[in-house]
Amino acid sequence: MPPAPTGEIHQLGIIGVILLLLLFYGGTMWMSVAISRKKENADDYMTAGNHIGFGVSAASMTATWIWASSMYASVTAGYTYGVSGPIHYGLWGALMILFIYPFGKRIRKVAPKAHTLAEVMYARHGRSSQLMLAGSNVLGSVISLTSNFIAGGAIIAMLSPLSFGSGIVIIAGGVLLYTLWSGFRASVLTDFAQVIAMLGAAVVIIPAVFFVVGGPQMFADGVAAGHVTPQQESFFSSEAFMNQGAPYIAAVLAYAIGNQTIAQRLFAVREDLIKPTFITATVGYGATVIGIGMIGVMALYLGIEPAGGDVNNLLPQMVGTYLPVALVALAFIMIIGSLSSTADSDLSALSSIVMTDIYGQSVGRKNVNPKFMLLIGRITMIVATAAALFFATARFNILDLLVFVGALWGCLVFPVIASFYWKKVTNKAFTVSVIVALAVFLPVRFTLIPLTGAWAFFVEALAILGVGVVLGIMAFGFFGLRPALIIGAVATIAVLPFGFGYLRDYETLTGSLVAYSVSFLVCYLMSVKSSQNFDFSVIKRITGDFDEEDAPAVEDTAAGENPPRGDVPAAPGH
Amino acid sequence: MTAMLTAYVLVWPVLVLGILITIARGFAKDVKEARKEGRQVI
Repeated sequence: MPPAPTGEIHQLGIIGVILLLLLFYGGTMWMSVAISRKKENADDYMTAGNHIGFGVSAASMTATWIWASSMYASVTAGYTYGVSGPIHYGLWGALMILFIYPFGKRIRKVAPKAHTLAEVMYARHGRSSQLMLAGSNVLGSVISLTSNFIAGGAIIAMLSPLSFGSGIVIIAGGVLLYTLWSGFRASVLTDFAQVIAMLGAAVVIIPAVFFVVGGPQMFADGVAAGHVTPQQESFFSSEAFMNQGAPYIAAVLAYAIGNQTIAQRLFAVREDLIKPTFITATVGYGATVIGIGMIGVMALYLGIEPAGGDVNNLLPQMVGTYLPVALVALAFIMIIGSLSSTADSDLSALSSIVMTDIYGQSVGRKNVNPKFMLLIGRITMIVATAAALFFATARFNILDLLVFVGALWGCLVFPVIASFYWKKVTNKAFTVSVIVALAVFLPVRFTLIPLTGAWAFFVEALAILGVGVVLGIMAFGFFGLRPALIIGAVATIAVLPFGFGYLRDYETLTGSLVAYSVSFLVCYLMSVKSSQNFDFSVIKRITGDFDEEDAPAVEDTAAGENPPRGDVPAAPGH
Repeated sequence: MTAMLTAYVLVWPVLVLGILITIARGFAKDVKEARKEGRQVI
């Protein structure tokens, strides 16, 4: 039997927390200083020269994708939905990385030296498409940054006498310090140390909690005590699938396309290593997040009540209640590592977007001053940190904001992916489809118009089509157009019999599906008759290095096909 | 069912350990190659 919890949480104390933070941020600062250069290169500041190796890139992709919120959310899913809960959180999150990989290969092929996806959209379409994508990226990264600061402040406040306010300032200051000078290079290198700390802690903490709370006997006792429902005991819980899994499947591609932190690593890794990097990150993310979610499952079987009624407290509560102080310190480092690695990636992503999509494109590549560009990147990091600190103290509802951004990204997925394969997609089709999709999504997701009568029928028809669009896009990445059309059509037909009268009860899922289907319909109908025949080689000529002082002389221009910077042809629609 | 749930809980840290070793070996290889070529690892 597990030791009876005393209700007390083992705290680390002010000195303990400060020592751990000094060790963590001192270590990452030391790594950052070790690779810093007196004169940083602007392109390396954003993409580390486009040729990082497998170990560094796999570590970075894994560390970036695992953020503190994903650990908390997986534990919450395990506690709420039982044994299948963490799967319906972590598996789909992991597949986000896997499903973006075939598209990532295509993106690198047409734009080998780009810095941001928005920059590629500029080359493909023009300014309005670029700004839509860049705007959604900025919004997403600021929200993610805020969420990580909140998670850091909360864990420090729970495990030490320090206040939430002091916690967020320490976290923000620590992350900013080691990322500011070398940007993405520092972010990627420190990700390695952070992922080792995170994964190492997960390897120890999950079995430690399991055996300390009673091991296998806990399951029989939990059922006997009536702590779990039949749905929570089932690996095939429909409740878990409809409320947790299905909305996540719909979001699989949206988060990967809309998140600049992923795009940045896609442009940074050596092109031949994209596949092993993405596969390793998929398994690493899935195993870690699902594994941590098991702590929520254990809390459910044990009949634990979350401290203060807040399920977000479950992870530190379980660790702090059952484990000795040394393992509480390890868990603390795991959570600080997860939030810091994502926060530094968000800072690097934000600086790249402002450097490339705001400054770089507004003055024109010929007129870019790399030194000033670097200064802009560093100022962006400082401003973003200040903004995230403000939002964190103002206690905005992060989940609501994340849902909004997720849907915004859902509106972008089809137009963005189609733009990399279909020559007919125009700037107008891209822009209008995203705006119309957003206009339909908002009243559905927030039930601004009650989902009844003809409106509900119309929305459900769109959502059913959305199922086909999502599965079709996923299949397209791996198998090509024909199988994608078949899978999309079959999926749509399969959902038809039970979709009507049913999907209206799941507005989160239906809203996301509507975002996909409307953007698909509008983008397709506006493009199919267009006479545009886009030449994809234009993208390679328009995107590229800004800072060529330290760049290899004729890399990628060996054939002499790339015109000198500033003499590139204008993107269509400019 | 108890044995299955036990395996279900404990399989994840084993997978995480596998990935941890893969990443650490990959990183060591990156460092070795960088040293050989006389450049920074990143």
